Amino acid sequence: MPLPHLICRPAARGFRLIQLGLAVLGLALFSTWAAAQGRETLRILAWPGYADADLVRAFEKRHDVRVEVTLVESDDALWSRLRANRGGDFDVLAANTAELRRIIDDGLVQPLDLANIPNTRQQLPRFRDLASLPGVVRRGQVYAIPYTYSEMGLIYDRKQVPEPPATVGALWDPRFQGRVLAYNGSSHNFSLAAQSLGSKTPFRIPEADFRKVVDRLVALRRNVRTFYTSPEEAVELFRDNRIALMFANYGTQQLAMLKKAGLDVGYAIPREGALAWLDCWAVSRGAHNPRLAEAWINYTLEEPVSSALTARQGLANTLREPSHLPPGAGLVWLEPVEDAGRRAALWRRIIAGDTPERF
Amino acid sequence: MRPLPDLLGRLGIGAKLGLLLAAFAILATGLTGYYSYSQSRNLLVNAAERELLTATQVLGRRLVVALAGVADDVRLLAQAPATRRVVQGDRNGGARDDLAETFSALLRVHPEYFQVRLIGAAHHGREVVRVDRDDGRLVRLDGPLLQEKGYYPYVFHTLELTPGQVYLSPIVINHEQGAHAGLNKPSLQVATPVAGADGQVWGVAVVNIDVNGLFDLLKADLPEDFWLYLTNERGDFLMHPEADLTFGFDRGRRVLVQDTYPAVQDLLDHKAKTVVTRGEQSVGPVPADAVAAFMRLPIGVPSEGRFVILGLSQPIQTVLAESRLLGQTTWQLVLAFSLLAVAVAALVSRAVLRPLNMLVAAAQRFSREHVMGELPLARRDEFGTLARSFGEMQTQIGAHLAELYESRSRLDHLARHDPLTGLPNRRFFTDRLEHAVATARRKGGTLAVLFIDLDCFKEINDSLGHGVGDEVLRETARLLCASVRETDTVARLGGEEFVILFDTVADPRDVALVAEKLLQRFQLPLQVADRSLVVQASMGISRYPEDGADAASLLHSADIAMYRAKHQGRNTYRFHDTPAWPAGEVPVAAPPAVE
Repeated sequence: MPLPHLICRPAARGFRLIQLGLAVLGLALFSTWAAAQGRETLRILAWPGYADADLVRAFEKRHDVRVEVTLVESDDALWSRLRANRGGDFDVLAANTAELRRIIDDGLVQPLDLANIPNTRQQLPRFRDLASLPGVVRRGQVYAIPYTYSEMGLIYDRKQVPEPPATVGALWDPRFQGRVLAYNGSSHNFSLAAQSLGSKTPFRIPEADFRKVVDRLVALRRNVRTFYTSPEEAVELFRDNRIALMFANYGTQQLAMLKKAGLDVGYAIPREGALAWLDCWAVSRGAHNPRLAEAWINYTLEEPVSSALTARQGLANTLREPSHLPPGAGLVWLEPVEDAGRRAALWRRIIAGDTPERF
Repeated sequence: MRPLPDLLGRLGIGAKLGLLLAAFAILATGLTGYYSYSQSRNLLVNAAERELLTATQVLGRRLVVALAGVADDVRLLAQAPATRRVVQGDRNGGARDDLAETFSALLRVHPEYFQVRLIGAAHHGREVVRVDRDDGRLVRLDGPLLQEKGYYPYVFHTLELTPGQVYLSPIVINHEQGAHAGLNKPSLQVATPVAGADGQVWGVAVVNIDVNGLFDLLKADLPEDFWLYLTNERGDFLMHPEADLTFGFDRGRRVLVQDTYPAVQDLLDHKAKTVVTRGEQSVGPVPADAVAAFMRLPIGVPSEGRFVILGLSQPIQTVLAESRLLGQTTWQLVLAFSLLAVAVAALVSRAVLRPLNMLVAAAQRFSREHVMGELPLARRDEFGTLARSFGEMQTQIGAHLAELYESRSRLDHLARHDPLTGLPNRRFFTDRLEHAVATARRKGGTLAVLFIDLDCFKEINDSLGHGVGDEVLRETARLLCASVRETDTVARLGGEEFVILFDTVADPRDVALVAEKLLQRFQLPLQVADRSLVVQASMGISRYPEDGADAASLLHSADIAMYRAKHQGRNTYRFHDTPAWPAGEVPVAAPPAVE
């Protein structure tokens, strides 16, 4: 073989190899980039504690998707966020049954295919009987799957309040003036005020009673130290302001957090019955991939995920019966209110500090 | 494909040495260049980090000063006699109007103020005097429009302070309905207790600050590529060049500084007061490496331990812009030195190679031609020593060879000549004859052989001794040589036999004449060993091509002719085959005249 071949050939082959290597590397990089770019995103709209980072990561890994969690801290926020883009900003959401009713009314969610959510078979019988749950089934189609529930009881400082408060009226008790913590949310507060006025239908306030309820809420405002939104904020305010009594919008979730923060607190279900919510997962009308959204719902009903909700947040799951509720405790399951928009508008004025004569 | 060691093995020692030198020099310059480049790059980054931290601290100082200015304004309001009178319930409307005027004046001076209020402790924190900014104008709210704010932290916390202390609220989005320009805007409330004439706290003076306006002032003279960050105590961004990332907590999606810059966690955990770190500054979708400095900035009443985190970042590209130039220069230098190294390596390899090549050429020439080539003898290094040793060796070998040639030519001469007379011997003569016959045959020429045998030589030998015999033979040789042309060959075949080869004989009579002449010479006595001796000879002549086609037959024919002469009386000559020529022209051989 002539010498030039000996020298040139391997060099040329080497060059071609380098070219090939670069091409392969480039392709690999591009496909990784493309995969990262093209990875599907599941957009979740949920409450604090419903989509913890580690559980989300496990789901992301399992389905090779990206999950984007938006947390809401009030029904008003949930409603306005969901409505902002006709449900197109989120794929899956958690809302209580009362809210669900108006969400379904508004066509913001779509029917579910239970075949894609096999873990519903693990749920307690009363949560599997979907027809018995208000606001879940519409015209024979299932729109939501129960996930967690809690009653909104009263949390009190055992040192300042020796006797467990027996009634919601305790929030108005002048003895606790400036030491009461209330929740910054329109619907529940109106229901609560109606309950304190003796109403048996706190979700349906008659027109004639509205003025009284508003006055009652102004009175609540004048009795509280302040209002909270997130459960974490509540813990800080409770601790830093020597709070005696608090309306627990997040129920046992907050009780668990306060105890964890080392506070000596008790939990009471008032005589009138505690407002109780049942939060369900639903798939938004504008979901990009309803199957993925259903996969998320199915995932949250897996034993470890549901148990984590109970263990970490102190919230009841739908797979096991809770242990904390005293037998016979009265629960008033949330229902759609007569006019959520009106309650919200009024509440914004109340929380801004308008005096009674302005209403 | 030929393995590399094989290829290397094919390279000359000069090329190897050059390659080695060049590789070493390039490696050395490259490493030095890289090291100095990375060192200066680090220095630059370190300097940039220090500068960034200093800039952050300056900004922090400016923020503190700005907030102190607001605090002073609030204190001034709180301590104004009009304020103290009004807060204690002075029902004189004029005093409240004056106060509202003061508030308006303050708002006009400070465009970054949203709202200035006096809030009473009584009536659940009912506002007493309130002026809001609204769409570029100022609005005074009065009567039923005044709201109860007692449950807001900036009221209930401030009421617990002693006069002179200032409360700074967390920076949040203001959702208080009716806040006019400040509604749904990032706001900070700065408040201080207002004491009445009795020294009791009767209310609070509050200024709402437009946080964006404040920070616009703060970052007014920052270079374009510096990014300013502000976070709250939990790390939520309050200020970020990407506005979407600020106040995430208000929208349910928190965006935390420690997720972008994990080192900032130390500030949040009170483990450090300042950190300098690296992270990704997201400019649009393209992340750019950035240097960032963060500091914890205590705000509000010291006992509450409240703070914000202030940070600045700068793209690493900007920081390293100078180092790029440095890098360019460094690599140019490295390249230049590498080229120089290659040149020097080539020179060195040539300098080493030249004497080596000279030695190789000399050795090759010596072995080919046995001639000494040019050698670098004058060098004073190892090559000089090698060349000198080589030269000595060459001289020795040359001497040995000359000696060998000489003895060989002597042997050669001995083998072809008669030692006694110095004449060519039979072998040599036969060679000559064969050669001459071949030439004659080719050219169609003629030649003749004259065979001479001394008569009665045995008797001389026996009577006068061998010494005299030998002398006779020598004298005979001289006689013969003197009698012929230079071109003719005289040889001694052995004993007393001589022979003469006549090259190119044009006429047989010429040979006959020579034979005649020789006969006459043989009649004269020879002076041998102090005595005169007559030595006669019988001669036979053969001719080519008449008497033989080759050397052996020619010699044989001449021998036969000589014997005929011997038998016919000696001291005469005979042709082998008598040529025909006109009678009388050639004298017939005379009968021998014996002395």
